[in-house]
Amino acid sequence: MTENAAIFWYGCNMTRHGEVIRATTRFLEAVGVVAEPSGGPAHCCGSPKDASARINEGMARRTIQGFNQRGAAQVVTWCPSCHMNMQDSMAPVTPTNFETVHVTEVLHARQEKLRPLLARAVPRRVLLHQHLGFNGRVPVNSLVADLLRLIPGLELVEHPYRSPGHMCSSLAGVPGALADAQRATLAAMAETGADTLCTIFHSCHRDAVSLERRGIRVANWIHLLAESAGWPAEDEYKAWRNAADAGAAIGAERMEAAGSVAVEKLVLPELAKPPVV
Amino acid sequence: MSTGLAERIRAESARLAALCVACGECVRACPMTAYAAGVEAAAPNAVAAGMRDVLQDGEGTPEARAWIAACTRSGVCSPACPEGLDAAFMLRLAQWRAKGALGTPPLIPVKEDTQYSPKVKAFARLTLTEEEQAKWL
Repeated sequence: MTENAAIFWYGCNMTRHGEVIRATTRFLEAVGVVAEPSGGPAHCCGSPKDASARINEGMARRTIQGFNQRGAAQVVTWCPSCHMNMQDSMAPVTPTNFETVHVTEVLHARQEKLRPLLARAVPRRVLLHQHLGFNGRVPVNSLVADLLRLIPGLELVEHPYRSPGHMCSSLAGVPGALADAQRATLAAMAETGADTLCTIFHSCHRDAVSLERRGIRVANWIHLLAESAGWPAEDEYKAWRNAADAGAAIGAERMEAAGSVAVEKLVLPELAKPPVV
Repeated sequence: MSTGLAERIRAESARLAALCVACGECVRACPMTAYAAGVEAAAPNAVAAGMRDVLQDGEGTPEARAWIAACTRSGVCSPACPEGLDAAFMLRLAQWRAKGALGTPPLIPVKEDTQYSPKVKAFARLTLTEEEQAKWL
């Protein structure tokens, strides 16, 4: 990595969506921010170990020290948990040599460089899936809405509903909360006549893709930008999650290459879970 | 000079608890109270006082613990605070403490996915090329 280059800190659970990591990195590069993707357990914010300050701190420190050693001037975040943890508990404990900015801020600030790339019409009537949380820290709801408005042919509809929490994974831990939020989202889709629900975060996307079984389309904002740019960004997670047989959808050869035992034990149960609503 | 996370949790808890007047505006603003047993029937200031107690090494009340457990970081409590406190961060601190982050027995259920990292890696092996895994993980 060259001095003062950026790091695209995509988080942990984004590994379900490799195409989003790839396309986001490409968009960052297209607007002039060369950012090497970093994520997974070796670059954890520590929050999976919230029940132990000692372990949480150790994981977070390792992440910061790794970023510091790479000499990046900027760490571009995707995950709102990572972003908030960096500001609230990581950087105050382990000093950083970089500034932390959210990917939506970076792309929004350079939207004039993005605009010429978005040449293909995406004729969809889109409702943006928005949460109350994190938006007070980084105004993601309006930043992503502005970016979607750059896409020719895309119509963004308005609805006042905002899900509680900062992303859907937080609601999933509270009995009943995610189901209520999904029902309210479906109601908002029906009220606005939207055909596509656009997710902002990966965890929301992971939980929302099964709503396609209710007759709507679900795409992440990066998928929509990539579609407009004519870049490949096939949503395999969505296809696997909604397949009658996820293992068959992934394919035996690919499962074998990834480690069949691990895929059967760790991946297929999640893909086969019944939808929340 | 930086300190450890446990020290930061203790110091920030003490600082914010000392400033909090437990007026309950954070509880009134919270969109998650319906999911926290007993909170909607309780006085908001009593729930807030229970949360403040957790920040001060106490056990809080059952309603306060239920409220802390139901926090999903909506963040609307912070602008609702008439004292201008970062109430969302207070809840984050309270949740850390209630989960036993400082070594004390947990006050709320702790749901930890022991397969969290293996799952992240298993998906990575499916969606990222070997070269991407080598560079990006």
